[in-house]
Amino acid sequence: MRSPRTAALAAILLLASPLAACSSGPAPASTTIGIGVDLPLSGADASVGTSTLDGIKLAVAHANAKGVPGGFTFAVQALDDTQQGVHNPQQGASNVRTLIADDSVLAIIGPYNSNVAAAEIPITNQAGIVQISPSAVSDGLTLGKDAAMLRRANPTVNTFFRVCTTDSRQGSAAARFALDLKLKRAYIVDDNETYGLDLANVFARDFTKLGGTVLGRDHIAPDTQDFKALLLKIKGYKPDFIFFGGTTSTGGGLLRRQMFDVGMGKLAFMGGDGIPDIAEVAKKRADGTYYTVAAPNADLLPAAKRFVAAYKAKFGSDVGPYSANAYAATEVAISAIEQAIVANGNKMPTRAEVLAKIPRNAKNEVHTPIGPISFNKNGDVRKPVISLYAIRNGHSSFIEQLNLSE
Amino acid sequence: MHEFLAQLANGVELGAIYALIALGYTLVYGILELINFAHGDVYTFGSFVALGIFVGLRAAGVLHGAGLILGIAAALIAAIIASALLNAGIERLAYRRLRKAPRLAPLITAIGVSFMLENLIELWQGSAPVPFPNVIPNPQLHIGALEVGVQQIVVVALAIVTMVTLHFFVQRSKLGKAMRAVAQDRDAASLVGINVDRTIAITFLIAGALAGVAGFVGGVSFGSAWFLNGFGAGLRAFTAAVLGGIGNIAGAMLGGFLIGMLESFSTWLIGGQWSNVAVFSVLILVLVFRPSGLLGETLPEKV
Repeated sequence: MRSPRTAALAAILLLASPLAACSSGPAPASTTIGIGVDLPLSGADASVGTSTLDGIKLAVAHANAKGVPGGFTFAVQALDDTQQGVHNPQQGASNVRTLIADDSVLAIIGPYNSNVAAAEIPITNQAGIVQISPSAVSDGLTLGKDAAMLRRANPTVNTFFRVCTTDSRQGSAAARFALDLKLKRAYIVDDNETYGLDLANVFARDFTKLGGTVLGRDHIAPDTQDFKALLLKIKGYKPDFIFFGGTTSTGGGLLRRQMFDVGMGKLAFMGGDGIPDIAEVAKKRADGTYYTVAAPNADLLPAAKRFVAAYKAKFGSDVGPYSANAYAATEVAISAIEQAIVANGNKMPTRAEVLAKIPRNAKNEVHTPIGPISFNKNGDVRKPVISLYAIRNGHSSFIEQLNLSE
Repeated sequence: MHEFLAQLANGVELGAIYALIALGYTLVYGILELINFAHGDVYTFGSFVALGIFVGLRAAGVLHGAGLILGIAAALIAAIIASALLNAGIERLAYRRLRKAPRLAPLITAIGVSFMLENLIELWQGSAPVPFPNVIPNPQLHIGALEVGVQQIVVVALAIVTMVTLHFFVQRSKLGKAMRAVAQDRDAASLVGINVDRTIAITFLIAGALAGVAGFVGGVSFGSAWFLNGFGAGLRAFTAAVLGGIGNIAGAMLGGFLIGMLESFSTWLIGGQWSNVAVFSVLILVLVFRPSGLLGETLPEKV
């Protein structure tokens, strides 16, 4: 190579050749069944998104190691719904279309966020493909008029399930936890997104019903940097704690952090399962934060202990807040697919056959690290559990759990 | 009263940051009649440089006692130098060759440079917000009915010192005089022996340095840096510059403080979700009723 130009040309040829080989290569083997995944894998939600994806990968690896009926193998096909650093409903919808277009994909795990789920459910409902979210908790995704609207393409069929709980279950559990902690005067802030607003609404309603006092309520604007004006205002009300409906990335992290800048560092701060990663932004200033997670504490279940050990061994890191949920969601999907394969004479089943095998009652429930799972007709878990955690010295510690009736 | 003072102090702190950024818009507009949309991203860059120095120094374990003061100074100076060089580099590469082009061309180039910087910063630092280490202690002081953080006082003092220095530089120094001459009439300035290109480059250097100070101060004050921070902060600062009268240095300072206080008070009195509405309503009202801004001169319209 004597001149830069020939070098560049050679580089282009080198780069191009494997691509050419790819396009003319054989089609993927028909013995592979795709587990489609849509999660936020970059941007502000990257840390929770990636640890959630790892839960899915682990479940798929376990299923493949155990052997799948009919000699099939499962493969994870993960797509990222982040745009400009934030989870994006349009991107989620487009990802789900991509996954549906691939005939080998028999189930979709995801998304992480409720507003993304609201954009995806009409599409998966129309396609009749099983979709299980590990974490989308907004009530309207499965309940009431909102859910009916999402299912209008195919009103008699429900294809959307979630292994997490709903905002209303979580919000009312948070209200009870707060009063248990002797926190009686709340100031409520939310991020004005589907998840945060719902959670804050339910919390406000139940907290008042149970005898707590809501001193005031505020919504924050997207990409706000300065929360001190809001915090100074809240300070004037002298609350026992601030309840935040939203996620770490939509303002929870900065809100908690800036509480120290206006002399409110000792005040308790509480939220839902959108803020378990708050210590990453607020560091030691996250101490005094309480949050609820819609799953049993992994340390209390034997299946969960095995899961945690296997996860640490495979990925070399601690379990993320939704890794176990993702593992459970994937186990449920895989169990339904495997049953459908057997029922179909060890041949590739259709998406409708997989949907028919989703567990619906105590008899066929799937035993997962987050407890036995079966769904009611709305697509929600039949025996929900909510856990309360506190952050101490920058780390989460489990406080107590609440078993809710359906 | 207590709360009013606290909000006022917060508004002044926020305003100081906006004023520093607004000065950059105004300086560049004053000399080139160009709205440098990439300016907000120069601010973001300054934030990340300061953050990087803090993280590095903390890892080295030198951020205690006198080391902390030196560390703060090092982060500030690094942010100033890096942002100044970046801004001057942008001028050299993107704007200088468009000096004789129609005015729309550099404007669109500025928007392009802004997108490019945002994406480069995203590549460099990732798209998640990066927290500042909690290295600077922030004890609360009680002065009469006013309760402020030490950090707040440092932020505002730093901004004011910077602005006063800038004012004297532009009004009294030879270079400042050259800047004003080029702003008034580029051709006439070159006739009396002023190196126009060099003067414009120095203006960009100074504007970038101010963005660096703002980046440092904003990062410390808000506690995090994010690749899109410059967009929101830049728009608010631009509004501040327009409110004060774009091209007018005192106007940018005044506008910055007013916008900061408006944001703080609207959050307090109306609610957090309305602060953007309040700020940008001001932009619209100013453009409709007093396009030259509060301190801008009302020029007769050119026919």
